[in-house]
Amino acid sequence: MRTDDEGQRVTDLVIETSGLRKEFTSRKGRRVAVQGLDLAVPAGGVHGFLGPNGSGKTTTIRMLLGLARATRGEMRLFGQPVPRSLPDVIGKVGAVVESPKFAPNFTGRQNLLLLARSIGIPDSRVAAAVETVGLTGRDQDRFKSYSLGMKQRLAIAATLLKEPRLLILDEPTNGLDPAGIREIRDTIRTLGESGVTVLLSSHILAEVQQVCTSATIIGNGRLLASGTVEQLLGEGTSYRVAVPDAAAATAVLTAADLSCVAAPDGGGLLVETDDPAAVTRALAGAGIWLTELTPLRPDLETFFLQLTAADNLGTSTERDAR
Amino acid sequence: MTRLVRVELLRLRLRRAVLLLLVLAVVIPAVIFAARVWDTRTVDDADVLADNYYAVDDCLQHPRRYGLERDAPDLQVVCEEMVVRDYSLRQPLSLASERGGSGLGVVAVLVAILFLLGTTFVGHDWNSGSMSNQLLFEPRRGRIWAAKATAVGLVSFVVAAVVSLAYWLGLYAVMGLRDLAVADGALLDSLAYGVRGAAFATAAALGGLALTMLFRSTVATIGVLFVVSVAGGLFIGVLGVGERWQPPKNVSAIVKNGTEYWVTVPQSCYQRRQPQPVEEGSSCDDTRDLTLLQGSLYYGLPLLGAGAASVLSFRRRDV
Repeated sequence: MRTDDEGQRVTDLVIETSGLRKEFTSRKGRRVAVQGLDLAVPAGGVHGFLGPNGSGKTTTIRMLLGLARATRGEMRLFGQPVPRSLPDVIGKVGAVVESPKFAPNFTGRQNLLLLARSIGIPDSRVAAAVETVGLTGRDQDRFKSYSLGMKQRLAIAATLLKEPRLLILDEPTNGLDPAGIREIRDTIRTLGESGVTVLLSSHILAEVQQVCTSATIIGNGRLLASGTVEQLLGEGTSYRVAVPDAAAATAVLTAADLSCVAAPDGGGLLVETDDPAAVTRALAGAGIWLTELTPLRPDLETFFLQLTAADNLGTSTERDAR
Repeated sequence: MTRLVRVELLRLRLRRAVLLLLVLAVVIPAVIFAARVWDTRTVDDADVLADNYYAVDDCLQHPRRYGLERDAPDLQVVCEEMVVRDYSLRQPLSLASERGGSGLGVVAVLVAILFLLGTTFVGHDWNSGSMSNQLLFEPRRGRIWAAKATAVGLVSFVVAAVVSLAYWLGLYAVMGLRDLAVADGALLDSLAYGVRGAAFATAAALGGLALTMLFRSTVATIGVLFVVSVAGGLFIGVLGVGERWQPPKNVSAIVKNGTEYWVTVPQSCYQRRQPQPVEEGSSCDDTRDLTLLQGSLYYGLPLLGAGAASVLSFRRRDV
């Protein structure tokens, strides 16, 4: 661990969590939303934060931003422990959590002015942020008259007021039209390239694959995988195998310790392996002659679905009676 | 902190509901003022004859009922004078009597309106969800709470004080125009009454804010307060709680700088053969003093409790 001149911890990680846990208690009992999550987001680039609905993404973000209290575990932003040091680092963090939330009867500009003035940001920055997200001309309209896309843009404008070094975006393209989605993705990509670290929580896997340089996948509040997008996709090399008798081939491949499932489109089998020769060797040994062996270019969606499906088979959300 | 207070003052100014309540806080006392000025207007003969036409007519028709002879000289004039004296209930304007009447009404109006102002101001932040956005810019929740309370307290006190003082100065001016005598110190007493009323109304606004920050909903706050007032009324009615503990009496103690309340004395106090002077404070004394301090504690302690619960809850609960 390095320290700066003032003895403060210096790290290349912008976000770190260790053993992070969040429990919600209600009359129905205790529900664990996040269980022992270790998250590490390096500085720079766009980092995808993936997980099925209810996997704990938003809860994790809310804990990082001090909106929810962690039951256990440690969190750091820019190497500083949060929530204790949140006031010291919040000026470097812009965030949109869940849906955009502003005073409905105030204009977009008034909403931004109130936020800006609360931390001493000059009013001139408001106009710049409005222009960046393409709301110029509509910023004097009331927030309640905005479309969902415009509300999202205003929320992003609010994050840009601080000129953040870390941008946390929770489903930022929700409700945007295709042109708006492209604009926001371009903005995110540009910000990532300019040195701002972006944590992008999204359900849209293609979006993450297009925009992100690295990603973390969680399920049931636990870390499932993390790394660069290339690393993640590399972990899941698969081949499409076409054979006359799929059932017999499945039995042979399983006996040879090769993971295989029927292809969802009915076109043969999908075999997970780094050694395609093992497939031909096993099938030929059993007298089964394959008619196709095609390497499949892995995509994040397939990898994500395989990971989360396996996670759901292996565990279920912890739920204790009070 | 000053910056946050300024932001909250701007937020207050931008809220239309708040502006409407502030207008009501001026207009309703102005209407009460106008009504009092009208109801205490100087009595003239035409006024008396118009208002008491039937009484004068009855006197002329049946003078014996009024102790007059039918053939009494100037019967018309005598009847009119009698009606002026006996039938006109219109009292001349007096600061002392207004402190026990319309002054309390003005305080009650300010309390209700400023309570709503406190609750609707922060209730809007919770209902719209913008509270979480504010915390993304200033995560020190204690400061956010304090800034909102300071803004609400400042605006409430200024508005309530200006309205109250204007009310009493207005009545004083009207008395001057009517050549009515003002007792020594009456104006000062009335202004002090107005300041205490403004302070009480400010406390109500802060109570509304504290409860809404606790319940996180304007509707919930008003609902809980309604239930508490109904249940409290039933409690007082069923258990026969003494006047000392009744809310209006304690309001009087605060704004009037002390008041008196009745207590039940033993039956033996009424069964003495020869009436004796009752010693003040003895068991047979049926009136007791309720001081400003006691009234302040009656409302101040629950307000402090609500404030503490509100701050703790806001600092600890998830948003």
